Amino acid sequence: MPGTYIPSEYLPVLIFIIIATAFGFGALIIGTVFRLKKPYYEKLLPYESGIDPKGEPRTRFAVRFYIIAMLFVVFDVEAIFIYPWAIVFDKIGIFAFIEMVLFIVILLVGYIYAWKKEAFQWD
Amino acid sequence: MIQQLFFIYFAFAITGLSLLVVTRKNPVHSVLWMLLLFFHIASLYLFLNAEFMAAIQVIVYAGGILVLFLFVVLLMNIREELRIGKYIGAGPTGFTFAAALLVVVFMSLRSFVAAPPGIYSIDLIKKETHTMVLGKLMYTEFLYPFEITSLILLVAIIGAIVLAKRRLKT
Amino acid sequence: MVPLSWYMLLSIIVFAIGVFGFLARRNVIIMFMSIELMLNAVNINLIALSHYLQDMRGQILAFFVIAVAAAEAAIGLAIIIALFRNKATAHVDEIKEMQG
Repeated sequence: MPGTYIPSEYLPVLIFIIIATAFGFGALIIGTVFRLKKPYYEKLLPYESGIDPKGEPRTRFAVRFYIIAMLFVVFDVEAIFIYPWAIVFDKIGIFAFIEMVLFIVILLVGYIYAWKKEAFQWD
Repeated sequence: MIQQLFFIYFAFAITGLSLLVVTRKNPVHSVLWMLLLFFHIASLYLFLNAEFMAAIQVIVYAGGILVLFLFVVLLMNIREELRIGKYIGAGPTGFTFAAALLVVVFMSLRSFVAAPPGIYSIDLIKKETHTMVLGKLMYTEFLYPFEITSLILLVAIIGAIVLAKRRLKT
Repeated sequence: MVPLSWYMLLSIIVFAIGVFGFLARRNVIIMFMSIELMLNAVNINLIALSHYLQDMRGQILAFFVIAVAAAEAAIGLAIIIALFRNKATAHVDEIKEMQG
């Protein structure tokens, strides 16, 4: 009967999440209750090996980081498509193998394009 | 009873978190609330007996797309973002449009008639495991959409490189 | 038991919040996150219908929605980076070259 399903095998995960959250917040709360609070200017400065900090802490990343992140997302989805394929591979047989080879070859074209455009170059 | 309690918790949490996502001034906070939102949506999928969908919700959205968002948020000037107003001049119009859409779709919800149920009952999915059922359907009946998806991903790779990469020095 | 209409109502509410965020926010990245929110609302609806109608095809469609969402995120954020490089802004109301 739909609507009455309970994922009971995930109960340990729920218990884990509850304990982890309680532990994290509990540690913070106990720390705030018991610790001394005497902040002054030098203590609140970011620590830079004893030297006074200067300039913006936030610097812009180079664009190649973003290109790597975008390619990661795309190939992440490709990997997601391979999981169910690996499960059903022996049920469907050689046909499933051919379609997955086609899928990977099409994405390999993109990979070679990225390589030729020097998207992976680091200098 | 316990299903209803869980659903009510998830419904209120998802609604509240999505409101937090669209109303926070600091984009970093928005991204972090969205991370929590995606985990709640993934847990909701578990209650719909779709554990593989829950897994890819966490892997693709929380693990891939949100990291990309966080990267791009770090590109911009947060200090200027906190200074300037968060809504554009057409904001009230957008709110009215969204509220009208909510009301219209809510009214049309009452005329929904469910189709007769198919063969994929909870027992069948439990017996065969969810990923197996999904994969069997995906790699036989949905063969063409699957191959077309690879073309969409190819377009995404090429488009991202063309748009984001500087021209090669010639 | 939880009726199907509860899930559909939740999906509608999240979708409307996404529409509001897309139309009202100034920041381009928040607008993109609103699009992801709308796609997630549609996914909730698809998977709930798939569960209640006992048909897996809805989940396959949700699978493809997630794949397209990833492609859209990659392209969209590449557009934002190109925008940053050319205009050094992330605000939609400062991009008005195309206005007549």
